[in-house]
Amino acid sequence: MFLTPQIITLTVVNILFVIFATIAFVNALKVVLFYDKEATTQTQYILEKKSYLSATIIKFIFYVKIPLFIFFVYTLDDLSNILPGAMCAAGVVSATRYGTPLLFLKIINLYIFAFWIVLNKEDMLYEEQPYLKSKFFLYCIAYFLLIGEIVLESIMFGTLDVSSVVDCCGAIFSTTSQTYLATLLKLSPTILLGSFYGLYILLILFYIVKNRYIYSVLNILFVIVSLITLIAFFGTYIYQQPSHHCPFCLLQSDYNYIGYLLYIVLFIGTFYGFVLGLIEFPKERLQKSYNISLIYNTIYVIIVSYYPIVYYCKNGVWL
Amino acid sequence: MIQLHNISKLYDKNIKALDNISLSFKEGELVILKGVSGSGKSTILSLIAGLCKPTQGEVIVDGKKISKLPDHFAAAYRRDHIGIVFQRYNLISSLSVEENVLLPLFPLNLTRSVMQERANRVLEKFHIAHKQALIVKNLSGGEQQRVAIARANINDPKIILADEPTANLDEKLSREFIAILKELKSQKRTIVVATHDPLFFDLDFVDRTIEIEHGKLL
Repeated sequence: MFLTPQIITLTVVNILFVIFATIAFVNALKVVLFYDKEATTQTQYILEKKSYLSATIIKFIFYVKIPLFIFFVYTLDDLSNILPGAMCAAGVVSATRYGTPLLFLKIINLYIFAFWIVLNKEDMLYEEQPYLKSKFFLYCIAYFLLIGEIVLESIMFGTLDVSSVVDCCGAIFSTTSQTYLATLLKLSPTILLGSFYGLYILLILFYIVKNRYIYSVLNILFVIVSLITLIAFFGTYIYQQPSHHCPFCLLQSDYNYIGYLLYIVLFIGTFYGFVLGLIEFPKERLQKSYNISLIYNTIYVIIVSYYPIVYYCKNGVWL
Repeated sequence: MIQLHNISKLYDKNIKALDNISLSFKEGELVILKGVSGSGKSTILSLIAGLCKPTQGEVIVDGKKISKLPDHFAAAYRRDHIGIVFQRYNLISSLSVEENVLLPLFPLNLTRSVMQERANRVLEKFHIAHKQALIVKNLSGGEQQRVAIARANINDPKIILADEPTANLDEKLSREFIAILKELKSQKRTIVVATHDPLFFDLDFVDRTIEIEHGKLL
């Protein structure tokens, strides 16, 4: 194991997360088990106070997690300068068998915590706090995922070996390897773009029709298809290299850090769409969520579409 | 209108301010809570105002369970329904009379003209309009109290709570305050006054006097 300032920072913040998240978890569990809105007992009033404390802690964790996730990705990218063979964060992620599950878990946790924040906000709008037990039950699940994430992260940083040569992104995202990823990368542009733009058209359609459940499912599909098409197709136009499929190099200064913008816009757009299927918002906020989702998804589509169009206009050929 | 059911209140886990009391106040009633310092009078007012929650029991005002309200709803309830006159007035000393009186209106997003009209009305009503531009720290105790009363009334609250309102006043000013109370009572406000000032105990317009000792009703 080796320590860089970034790894030390992440470790310290993770220790704080564990302490605070555990305090919130103990209180959340008590709320789930013993909270009774109608009761006027001492236990109930204590639980009501503790529910505020827990909600505040969970909000604090989420608000720190957003910039921390970006910092984590930046750290991976920075570590690629130390690990032999790594050219970007992809090499660091694949350096141990914990990297990929950790990355997926971090993304899932971001969505779960963001959903918790929306649920909490909705809950606090009503005197009866209709989602109080649900939100703390959700947090009890999220707590274990968060602890799992922190444990995985510690193991990953702990098992990084600077004396071993790791793969670069060119090898990991190669179309010639025998992996599932390579199969996806080899899909024809017609299928990829057909799925991507087809889903986007369906999003617009169900935005107009206002079927929140289908719109929500479409957003889950859209985030998956968007990431695949970004790696398999659009990324090659951002890099202007037909064989470069790395989703991490987009985060580097060589490409104007465009990856940060793309991932943040995609996260906001799909999250607000996804959440529509889970919470029944009043009419005004329902429309607001639809609007935010479609606007951000549209911005994403415009940005990724811009690169191949400009490339074609400049060169007269497709990659 | 106001009901307290089996209320107990502990401070710091072992200081018992109220011990399983039940009380009710009718609409338009003027009630004096009588008792020595530390008897639990102020705690009753705080509970009615939603400033604190009981350790046990519940407070119901107009059918709404105040003691069960989340904090931000308790603040909205207090803003809309309660006027409080504190013992030490709790004015912001660096602001003018008018600014202090206007404070409860800011969260309501009213237009400046509506706010001004309301402020003028209460300042006139409680005979402090001529001092409206003065900074409150330059006012006498009686004047400061009138500002506090004006502020408590600017939202036309149905319930007025006064905590030892004459503790810092001489007898003449105390009688002026009592006259104001009488006027508010005539407007059908529900008024609860916590005091140990004997001036309040023989007033003909007081509906009830409730005596409290060591957190229990006598």
